[in-house]
Amino acid sequence: MAEPLVARSALRPHVAPLASPAGAPGVTLVEVENLSLAALAAFKGREAELTDAIRAAFGVELADGPKRVTANGVSFLGTGPGKWLAVGPAGTDFSTLPAAVTDQSDGRSVFRLSGPKARETLATLVQIDLHPRAFGPGSAAATHAASIAVQVSQLDDAPTYEIVCFRTFAATLWRWILDAGLSREISARHAG
Amino acid sequence: MRIACPYCGPRGVDEFSYLGDATLKRPDPAAENADAAFHAYVYLRDNPAGPHRELWQHASGCQSWLVVTRDTRTHEISAVEYARDAAIASAGAE
Ligand SMILES: [Zn+2]
Repeated sequence: MAEPLVARSALRPHVAPLASPAGAPGVTLVEVENLSLAALAAFKGREAELTDAIRAAFGVELADGPKRVTANGVSFLGTGPGKWLAVGPAGTDFSTLPAAVTDQSDGRSVFRLSGPKARETLATLVQIDLHPRAFGPGSAAATHAASIAVQVSQLDDAPTYEIVCFRTFAATLWRWILDAGLSREISARHAG
Repeated sequence: MRIACPYCGPRGVDEFSYLGDATLKRPDPAAENADAAFHAYVYLRDNPAGPHRELWQHASGCQSWLVVTRDTRTHEISAVEYARDAAIASAGAE
């Protein structure tokens, strides 16, 4: 008999070690689970229709650029001209939006990195400018971290960063971040 | 070398893939001299010392195809446009 499909983290303790510092953490790494993700690409000449539909369905004002916009717990990250990554709680339905919609819920892993040393930890892995002058809350970037394709965005001034990668790379990226954080009192937790 | 992607902003050249000369136009296969025209289109390239219009893709970023005007002597970049816009502009100019 076929096994029912169960959503499981791509992380397991033997491939993605946990970490807890002796004192106060300088940086905290967690996996965000139970998300619904979708890649959206606007149909040619119908960008306004998509913007209207997202405003009506989620109360989000879509940004045309490398930005992260959020309302009611649903975020849209600009990933390219006419392209976005939609992120919401599990069960959020993006499939009826007037765009090319590709479900990514079982294809990506999502991490959050926060704390006073989050910026310098992330800066060891990506080549984009993370200085607050160049990258702040609401900024998003499609780039690579340690040669792994990622979508990076900033949520707040803590600072908190969200890092999305293809789930096949999740454990490798996790270890890269952990290595970068070990000299910065990293706390790393996941439920895998 | 850094390329100022019109979508992403300035990024290191390692994020981009190079395709080549952006000024080439696919010849008309029905034309009388199609064989010679396709030979030139596929194989023959100028090697200019100076400004060169070339196709790059922001492969590790937004994945846009770009037309980059680069001085081959200095790597100085004087213009970056979406390839789509450049193609529309050049079609309109004909
Ligand atoms: Zn780009």
